[in-house]
Amino acid sequence: MRNKYIHIFSRFFGLIILLVSCEELELAPENQFTDLNYWTSSSKAQTVLNTAYSQMHNSTYFFYNEGISDNAYNGRGDTAGAASLAAGIYDPSLTRLQEEWDDRYAGIKSCNLLLENIDRVEDMDDAKRNRMKAEARFIRAFQHFQLMTWFGDIPLVSVDLSLEEAQTLRRTPRAEVLKFVLDELEEIAAILPTKAEYSVQERGKITNGAAIALKARAHLFEGHWQEVVSACESLINTDANGAYALYPSYEGLFLPENEYNSEDILSLQYVPEFRMWGDFFDMAPLSAGARLNALAPTQELVDSYIMLNGKAINETGSTYNEVEPYFNRDPRLTSTIVYHGYDWKEAGGSSRTIYIEPGSSPDNPVDEYAPGSSSTPTGYYTRKYFDPTHRTALASGLNLILFRYADILLMYAEAKNELGEMDATIWDKTIKALRQRAGFTDAPALNFNGSLNQVSLRQIIRNERRVELAMEGLRIFDIRRWHIAEDVLNGWAHGAKFAPASPDGGYIRANFRTFDPNKHYLWPIPRDERLINSNLSQNPGW
Amino acid sequence: MKKLHDGKGSYLPFVKIDLKMKLTFLLTFVSFIGMFANSGYSQSLSLEVENMTIDNVINKIELTSNYTFVYNTKFVDLQRRVSLKIKDASIYEVLDQMFNGAKPKTSFQVIDTEVFLNEENAIGVNSKTTDNTKKQVIQVTGSIKDANNQPLPGANIVEKGTTNGVTADFDGNFTIDLRDGNATLVISYIGFSPKEVEVKGQTIINIVLQENTADLDEVVVVGYGTQRKSRVVSAVDQIGENAFEGRSSVNTTQALQGQSPSLTIQQRNSEPGAALNMNIRGISTLGNNSPLIVIDGIVGGDINTLNPTDIESVSVLKDAGSAAIYGSRASNGVILITTKKGRKNSAITLQYNGLVGYNSPNFFTQPVAGYENAILRNEAAFNSDATSAIFTSEQIQQFRKNGDEEWFAEEIVKDALQQNHNLSVSGGNENSTYMVSIGYVNQSSNFVGPPKGMERYNYRINLTNEYGRFKFISNLAYSKQKISDHSSSTSTLMVDAFRVPLYYKQVDENGQYLTNDVLQEFNSLGILDAGGFRKYDNDDVFGNLSAEYKLTDDFIVRGVFGGRLNSNTLFARTKRVDFSPKGVYGANRNTNDEQRKSLDLNTQLMLEYSKTVNDRHYLDFLAGVSNENHQDRGIGLFKRFTDPDLGTPITDTEIDDNSYNSNQSSSKNSLNSVFGRASYNFDEKYFLEASFRYDGSSKFKKGLRWGFFPSVSLGYRVSDEQFMQNFKENMGSLKLRASYGILGNQNVGNYQYQTTYFTFQNAYGFNNSGVSGTGYNFANPDIQWERAATLNIGADMDLFENKLTLSLDYFDKVTSDILVPPAVPGVYGTNLPDFNAGKVGNRGWEISATYKHYGELFKHRINVSLGDTQNKVLDFQGEERLNGVEELQLLLREGQPYNSYVGLKRDGIFQSMEEIEGAAVPEGLSVVPGDNRYVDLNQDGVINDDDKFIFGNPFPRYTYGLTYNLSVNNIDFSLFLQGVGKRTMMVRGELVEPFHFNYGATMYVHQLDYWTPQNTDAKYPRLANAGSQSNTNNFRRGSDMYLYDGAYLRLKNVQIGYSLPQKVAENLGMKGYRFYVSGQNLLTLSNIKFVDPELSEFNSNLGPSGANSGRAYPTLAYYGLGIDITF
Repeated sequence: MRNKYIHIFSRFFGLIILLVSCEELELAPENQFTDLNYWTSSSKAQTVLNTAYSQMHNSTYFFYNEGISDNAYNGRGDTAGAASLAAGIYDPSLTRLQEEWDDRYAGIKSCNLLLENIDRVEDMDDAKRNRMKAEARFIRAFQHFQLMTWFGDIPLVSVDLSLEEAQTLRRTPRAEVLKFVLDELEEIAAILPTKAEYSVQERGKITNGAAIALKARAHLFEGHWQEVVSACESLINTDANGAYALYPSYEGLFLPENEYNSEDILSLQYVPEFRMWGDFFDMAPLSAGARLNALAPTQELVDSYIMLNGKAINETGSTYNEVEPYFNRDPRLTSTIVYHGYDWKEAGGSSRTIYIEPGSSPDNPVDEYAPGSSSTPTGYYTRKYFDPTHRTALASGLNLILFRYADILLMYAEAKNELGEMDATIWDKTIKALRQRAGFTDAPALNFNGSLNQVSLRQIIRNERRVELAMEGLRIFDIRRWHIAEDVLNGWAHGAKFAPASPDGGYIRANFRTFDPNKHYLWPIPRDERLINSNLSQNPGW
Repeated sequence: MKKLHDGKGSYLPFVKIDLKMKLTFLLTFVSFIGMFANSGYSQSLSLEVENMTIDNVINKIELTSNYTFVYNTKFVDLQRRVSLKIKDASIYEVLDQMFNGAKPKTSFQVIDTEVFLNEENAIGVNSKTTDNTKKQVIQVTGSIKDANNQPLPGANIVEKGTTNGVTADFDGNFTIDLRDGNATLVISYIGFSPKEVEVKGQTIINIVLQENTADLDEVVVVGYGTQRKSRVVSAVDQIGENAFEGRSSVNTTQALQGQSPSLTIQQRNSEPGAALNMNIRGISTLGNNSPLIVIDGIVGGDINTLNPTDIESVSVLKDAGSAAIYGSRASNGVILITTKKGRKNSAITLQYNGLVGYNSPNFFTQPVAGYENAILRNEAAFNSDATSAIFTSEQIQQFRKNGDEEWFAEEIVKDALQQNHNLSVSGGNENSTYMVSIGYVNQSSNFVGPPKGMERYNYRINLTNEYGRFKFISNLAYSKQKISDHSSSTSTLMVDAFRVPLYYKQVDENGQYLTNDVLQEFNSLGILDAGGFRKYDNDDVFGNLSAEYKLTDDFIVRGVFGGRLNSNTLFARTKRVDFSPKGVYGANRNTNDEQRKSLDLNTQLMLEYSKTVNDRHYLDFLAGVSNENHQDRGIGLFKRFTDPDLGTPITDTEIDDNSYNSNQSSSKNSLNSVFGRASYNFDEKYFLEASFRYDGSSKFKKGLRWGFFPSVSLGYRVSDEQFMQNFKENMGSLKLRASYGILGNQNVGNYQYQTTYFTFQNAYGFNNSGVSGTGYNFANPDIQWERAATLNIGADMDLFENKLTLSLDYFDKVTSDILVPPAVPGVYGTNLPDFNAGKVGNRGWEISATYKHYGELFKHRINVSLGDTQNKVLDFQGEERLNGVEELQLLLREGQPYNSYVGLKRDGIFQSMEEIEGAAVPEGLSVVPGDNRYVDLNQDGVINDDDKFIFGNPFPRYTYGLTYNLSVNNIDFSLFLQGVGKRTMMVRGELVEPFHFNYGATMYVHQLDYWTPQNTDAKYPRLANAGSQSNTNNFRRGSDMYLYDGAYLRLKNVQIGYSLPQKVAENLGMKGYRFYVSGQNLLTLSNIKFVDPELSEFNSNLGPSGANSGRAYPTLAYYGLGIDITF
């Protein structure tokens, strides 16, 4: 009997020894590739490139960059730092600064990783390889351009860095970064296909048109007028770099059924249900399904829309009436901004009135302006990019356009005027074309006024740019390059005329802003970044 | 098994017997915790033989019992034939009959299970018994009970000066045959003072033993074994089962709070099922600071699914001396939990414990009255140059007239029932013991709406079996935990409800849930009532099987195989709730399922050797090998737009691309180890112990995989020295001890030494279809062990006849090669895994004292524990790291405690424009009277990053616990206080800032002391709208205004109980009956009044998790009624 136990025991111990000694310590994950087995196919390289695309820009920066400008007010929270940046009440610890920095360098890393490894993929067509490299180089140039615009001198990262390099790197002079960006764009524009050369399935990829558009923008920001002109002309005067044209409907330009239209040069790609943005949850009228308002257009933006007769509202003979302020205005106002009495189109085609003036609503007062409430703090909501086919919580798969043909026309007009070359021909090609498309019919609004000097034309072109591109995230960059921030970002940003007559003529005081031209034209290098890398210098004034 | 010895050595057994007695004594203690069981037999025998030789009868007895015979064939007539018919008799009766009439006359002695036979005269080696050989055998019977008349089964009864002894049976009864009617009996039992009784011819002797006040020879569970407390020379705190009795703890962690000095347990949240943070001796690493949990010798169990009433003891291993045997995972300390076993030779005991009570939610904060809030909002707007008031005076009048609605936060919580029930059956005979228990806990959630809360079922069966030199131990525990939760996040629900002023209603007369100007989208009540649920259903099987074989008396080999099989499921549905006038919750109608299964296996093989040489040299060796491995896999299926009623798929149902298969979510790791320990002590006076572990982990690459972790401990019982004789006699015993060793930490993710790429869906899109993206995790190929050099010096004292026991410890720990993600600049472009960088020093002390006074009427026991730890970053590669936590930052800098808060220092409030002129203010801001003024540290005339001060840190210091037990007759009373002496607590959000970012729309009573021209001596600055210059100056520039004194003293538990007198209980058919009332969290003393000071800012790794705000679940006070019944 005891022998039996001994037998059981010896087996038990034998089993234990077996179990103890055989356990493997060399383990590899089953859901991930390692560096050794990743770079084996062009489709794997493509997915790295897709990651780089996804890091290019995001919807929150797209919209809330308007909140940094005089076009809109971020009245709730401090989304993407817009409230702090607009009011000038930030310091180097502001989260947005670090995030913009981190996000863009993360995007650069994906590009560099692809560029340094894609040659390891053996089974791949060289043309495709070069095109993918060019796409990555575009994104890398775009990221550097954005960083340079905000921060000035920035570390130029054209190779994948080691940690030690990243910890000790110095800022590259802005001029060198710019040169890198322009040189890259020059080279890749020759490699990238035109939009027609891509298949339908590839719509949304970077084209040579996009490279030219970015080059034009980079020159524009520098005031390299001649280069802007030549870049724009290579898109305006020829279809060799892609056939671009204004889309006939300004309103339709931003609707989901018209994605990939003739005006779209490069847009951020979104996919219904699978990759969506939801910023309208805090921008649309509350009665249209928004939760609250965090970003509202200002009275200053509304005032910049001219009358149908081509005159600015404060111009003699404008026929502007404060009692009916939205009557006879540039049709783009209605396509962009929701105001009191707005005729809101529902998805089904029906429409209803939006009541914003306090006490005006016959039944549901949710949209009404009430000080300190969660409805609009300015008396306005946003319509442009509202997606009638939105999903839950106003989530949308609508693409957000980064470069469109109207921008090319506006850049062209501006550069020509700065060169003193604005004339009826250029005007007709640019401003007139845009106003016609917007729905202007009055001749004074459409036709070139030869009596205007360069300064007056500059005001008109700049204003045209503001309204045409309103709520598309570009205004703040124009303000900075025109050096008008101390004028437009100082003092009160206003809302509609829903307030007591005093102090500001009945217009709501929405947000008090300060702008110090000695420091605020460049963002400070993020605090934490300089704590890690003491070689990073700081911008003047910070 | 017969041992034949020659005549020459006939005295040998008796020399051995003396030694054996000592061993028996020791083994009895050991058997108490169920490791050995070779002592104390009183097996009854039945025997029926016809005309059989003595030789064969002996064989038969040996076969059917545990008794073995030792004799010299020369002196015993083995061929004599006998016929016997004996039923249920003691061995003595059997032997008496067997050798009745034998020639030469045979004498016998029974020691444990060994029966020594000899020629009767030969016994006379022992001079004392020689004289008595001719005396007649007398039989004494009796019973052994404790002061409460409870029998003491297994008590030892030994005839003094001889080796003749028996043990008491199930009912505490014994029968002993004595050769001398004038003998003295020595009765001993674990935990009781030994007693000597002179027989003086009595044949019935009933003995009452008094409980021993000294736990001197308590057995302490240590890594892979046990030690007598008197021999422990490392820092180990043992917490006994009484710490878990009568408290409404829903889990073991909660029950451990305040029980051991420097075992810091903090709650992050009072919500049912919420985890608690556990830490031993403070922060010594920059990553995870949680201790290693070992349950019944197996690493990897879940302390929170364990039934607290199943616990027999918890050992907290704090220093290298005790913990080094757990090597690479021991640097944060080790918690060893041992579960209860049945007791040998004891009758079946059935025990029921029940506790039923309710948890009452308690808010530390109160909003101001509605109309008052409206006035305050106008004041803030006015102060911010707003063009119009927010509320007209008519509205304010109306609010006042209407009175206040119920505060949303109070409307969504209620008192909730909590029940704890436990039933256990235990017992044992001389070969095996059993303990079976069933537990049930049901803690209802305090949230309103459909029933929510935590339910746990526990089942445990612990068995031990012995067959001579073999021993099997089998423990199996099953727990099912079910948590029903709402579909949202508790912190969101709480804070939403918290922020609404009292002039809004949450639900109208028609039952419509209402949105308002603060909650535009939905309100918490609607979500709780109708918004769906999350149901967790977690099964946990934990067990081990251990087999042990005594190769010789000194040499044991043991194999252990155990582990944990864990299966967690989550079924969740979000249901659509429409709000009025607008807003909708759960429009996606999600139906989600997640399932994860994990398996932890642990296999160990050990050799143990213990030997005593010359009665003064005690040696113990342990060596072993083990493997631990972990694997888990999970799947998740997420669907949107499912049927609103059933949650089943319908036409527009979509599968979310976050759904995952099991290969997308799996992991594996493995650890191979060799370990050992050697202990030596001389005369129980000088102690030396060394231990080590050699670990190889799959988390590191080949070549860096193996790490060695040694320790050495020394002990010195000074009080046994001649020169301390006086001390020993007047005071008691004093033992000094010291240990030093290296402990490791490998608490990092798997596969970090390899750069990995992973793909994910819908990273981007082309032509309106999603395309996949690839993400990457960069490697640190050189990642390896973290090492903590740990020194511990301590003293243990048992003073004044063991009335006062005192333990003091000082420790100093330096952790180097700390695993921490490096400071990665943004330009690098991605995060990096952990690197071996940095060094942290952590030192501290602790005191634990117990004083007992058991008088005739009053019995007092008071236990105090107090500890403090302080850490300092010694090296971080010359770098420093600041991490923002909301308005403040946390600092990692050489020479400073880890995670010290950094921010501006408040210098009062500006009172006038004159004061502001020329004063330093934050860059770019213009301030007005009533705004915060800050200290210009570098006196450069501007407040910026260069003016930041280093403040305290959130880790608690001077943590203490006090337990007081008092019993008077049948009434018992106990009190448990717990607290923290010093802590910096960060509080923010709506709790500090009025109308926080416009998210909050009400002020609270504690905020009313704000600056106005009439209240210049205010605590807080003036009111101003979010986004204004004043608000930015006062609240967006993080200052010590957000830091509060988090010291507190809390009455954790009070209990008053009454036990029925023994006789009454027995008449009712019970062995004992006690009922009691119990209360928890009844009183809190602290300097901060508007928030629960116990709330921690740490996450489970003791890393920062953000400041405390209005997001916390309310603190619960518990009131309950309990009964304990024993059958």
